[in-house]
Amino acid sequence: MADRVERLTNLLALLLETRTPLSLVQIADQMVGQYPDGLTARRAAFERDKSALRDIGVPIEQEIMVGGDLAGQTRYWIDRARYELRGLELDEDEARALQVAMAATRPGSTSGQEALWKLGAGALDRSAPVAAVLPDLPALPVLREAVAQRTMVTFRYRDVAREVDPWGLLLRDGFWYLIGFDHARDDRRTFRIDRIEGDVAGIDGRTFERPAGFDPRDALPADPKQIGAGADAAREARVLIDAPRATAAVADLGEHRVIVRRGDGAVEVDVPCGNLPAFRSWLLGFVEHAEVLAPDDVRRHVVDWLESVAS
Amino acid sequence: MNARPKPRAAEVRLRRLLVMLPWLMERGEVPVAEAAERFALTEDEVVSDLELAAMCGLPPFVDELIDVFVDDGVIVVGVPRLFTRPLRLNSVEAFELLAAGRAAMELPGADPTGALARGLAKLATALGEDDTTGVRIDLDRPGLADRLAAAATASEELAIEYWSASRDATSERRIVPRQVFADRGEWYVSADDDRSGSVRTFRVDRIVRMEPTGRTVAPSDAPLPTPGAWFNDESVRRAVIRLAPAARWVVERNPSDTVSAPDAAGWVTATMPVASEQWLVRTLLRLGSDAEIVEPEEWRSLAAATAGAVLARYRRS
Repeated sequence: MADRVERLTNLLALLLETRTPLSLVQIADQMVGQYPDGLTARRAAFERDKSALRDIGVPIEQEIMVGGDLAGQTRYWIDRARYELRGLELDEDEARALQVAMAATRPGSTSGQEALWKLGAGALDRSAPVAAVLPDLPALPVLREAVAQRTMVTFRYRDVAREVDPWGLLLRDGFWYLIGFDHARDDRRTFRIDRIEGDVAGIDGRTFERPAGFDPRDALPADPKQIGAGADAAREARVLIDAPRATAAVADLGEHRVIVRRGDGAVEVDVPCGNLPAFRSWLLGFVEHAEVLAPDDVRRHVVDWLESVAS
Repeated sequence: MNARPKPRAAEVRLRRLLVMLPWLMERGEVPVAEAAERFALTEDEVVSDLELAAMCGLPPFVDELIDVFVDDGVIVVGVPRLFTRPLRLNSVEAFELLAAGRAAMELPGADPTGALARGLAKLATALGEDDTTGVRIDLDRPGLADRLAAAATASEELAIEYWSASRDATSERRIVPRQVFADRGEWYVSADDDRSGSVRTFRVDRIVRMEPTGRTVAPSDAPLPTPGAWFNDESVRRAVIRLAPAARWVVERNPSDTVSAPDAAGWVTATMPVASEQWLVRTLLRLGSDAEIVEPEEWRSLAAATAGAVLARYRRS
């Protein structure tokens, strides 16, 4: 019996070269002695090879004969145009730049390395002077394809089965988001992709139009304190931040939010508080180095919160 | 001595062959050592895989797949026939390339009209992305990150004042930046640090002040930590925490060893590395009754004690 790699390579070559689709009998005839003689064992070995090739991304076409002597027989072939990587001619410096990008953002990715080899780039460098850690989620490749092809997807989210037109994907603040039109809610929705329950599936034939000028960056407020603020979006609180944390806080908030600079280095800033839980969470990140000065109801809210934790 | 390498699965060998052959055919002649390095194989593996490829063929239908032999450490490829082009990208590979490229465009020093931008544009077209809005990556990069990256490239020494969250105090130190990276929405710099005499990782938004000392210092050869993997360190203490549904973000936002399935009320129990007690204090204070420390005992009253200390401030004024 031939080595498995040899058999797989020969099967691949045969299906690529053939001018007419081949049945399993014809395949076994061509690959003399490489498949078992017994019909059941032969079928099992062939199915295993077929799925191994499909797993590595080889598109194997198949058709079932209708009518004639061979009715019901399945025949196989590979369409070279669908097999080969085409339409992506990168210059050497472009392939090299993608290699550096991969090393900087997905250094351990075997799929990323495989992709680079296909593009003619080399092995990933180990360490990059600038880098980013990208969260890895199994749903992302499927969603990206659906966004590009304008195909509706289904998935479960917060225990509800959704049908969504995926408009775009956004990585912000360390999380991947899907922004799209949720048919169950009949409205635009933003989904945290890591909270999708189970698999995402595209629905063949259900395509959509994306609104003109859509940009996922506009779908989420850049400031997490504003998320869900709704009608109170303009509401602000006056917060005193002590000297040791003042510089970093101002760098984060922006100079325009500084209302008073005190002599000891502390600052008074006006900060959005329309989403009270988000505001409180931001404030308590300073522990005892920040204090709400006004308005009274927001100050009261923080004191109540602290009292409930202290008790 | 050497552990015997595990036999490679047939699928793995075939995948490697299918990317190696087109490259070899384009080059014609390649030293075995170069091919081995490029494709992360040993030289023996390269030779045995190519010998195998040379044996393949189905006369007379597909006579000879590839005309290849190894002569004096050099791979020589004859007339190309099959496998002259690589297999198309699958959906995972396509996403990895696009995401890596888009993310790298958000890193310090990225050139909006450079080789990466041009390669990405070609890639996006080939993948059917009709504009850049399908996959956006926003790393929200602070200006300081660019200064630090430039200092890393130039081996420039910087004097910084740094607020340490674990000690709730600022310190003055001299650092030589070596790597700037973004992780979970924050930016960090790993640098040779004069105070500790070793490599330390600093959060960029906690650098209170920074200026060049005017000196250039050769970077140490101490290994850099892997970005985003500090928590693998076993010396970091662990806490067992119960979290309400509203507090689930804590395990999404921070590394954890284990997270249980939700109970009937939706609470989960997580074992989490705690690099600093200050981090734990801040987190518990924000969560209020949505979190509860199970272990260790000494941390159970941490939140209440801290809330009391902050309340004292409100009662004073």
